[in-house]
Amino acid sequence: MLEIERLDDGDIKLIGRLDAAQADAAQKYLDGVDGPCTLDLADLEYISSAGLGVLLKTHKRLMSQSSALRLVHVSSHLADIFKFSGFDKLFQIETS
Amino acid sequence: MIRHFKRSFSELDAIVTMTEAVFNEKAIDPSIRFVVDLAIEELFTNMVKYNTGADHDIEIEITGSPTGAQVSLRDFDVDRFDPTQPRDVDIEASAGARTPGGLGIFLVMKMVDSVSYEYQDRTSTIRFSKGVEPLA
Repeated sequence: MLEIERLDDGDIKLIGRLDAAQADAAQKYLDGVDGPCTLDLADLEYISSAGLGVLLKTHKRLMSQSSALRLVHVSSHLADIFKFSGFDKLFQIETS
Repeated sequence: MIRHFKRSFSELDAIVTMTEAVFNEKAIDPSIRFVVDLAIEELFTNMVKYNTGADHDIEIEITGSPTGAQVSLRDFDVDRFDPTQPRDVDIEASAGARTPGGLGIFLVMKMVDSVSYEYQDRTSTIRFSKGVEPLA
């Protein structure tokens, strides 16, 4: 399961698992975000290629608006996925 | 442990529950759980997406020991489709040029220790291992 929370500072927190079953809901939420966006991934336990696709699509849309997606509190497991997929070169990533 | 799952992404929660049960029962090293979950999801969703003419459930078998896990996914009455064949994914491409296509299988091939494909009697079987010797 995946929960999405908007934090007081405007950051968006993803909690749980961003897999193929949750990708559509996550995409729908992030499609409503404009401007620079920070995703807090401290409590994101898992992400698959479907989840990476959501982040990529959102990042590309924000880049077209001269903004970007920033990922913070990234765990070592997620950092491995970003590294193997080359996404570590696409996003501004801060590990936890 | 062997279970059968309907051809739907909505089965992923049930698959995770199965994996968790096997990891607990066999006291499998939890540090490899992420990779095992990832590989199962990518291979299962690949079968769901590309073997569209099939209507049989997909069989998943997970075995293990404290040092690792072995997994097989079996898809019945389908055409041959070997996801282990090399596919080009340019991980150096810019964000604008990147597409998510093929990335899942690419990650599986990078992160598991062994993976094999067998096609016999219109049944596709994909086996992978992480942390232990591959299935015979």
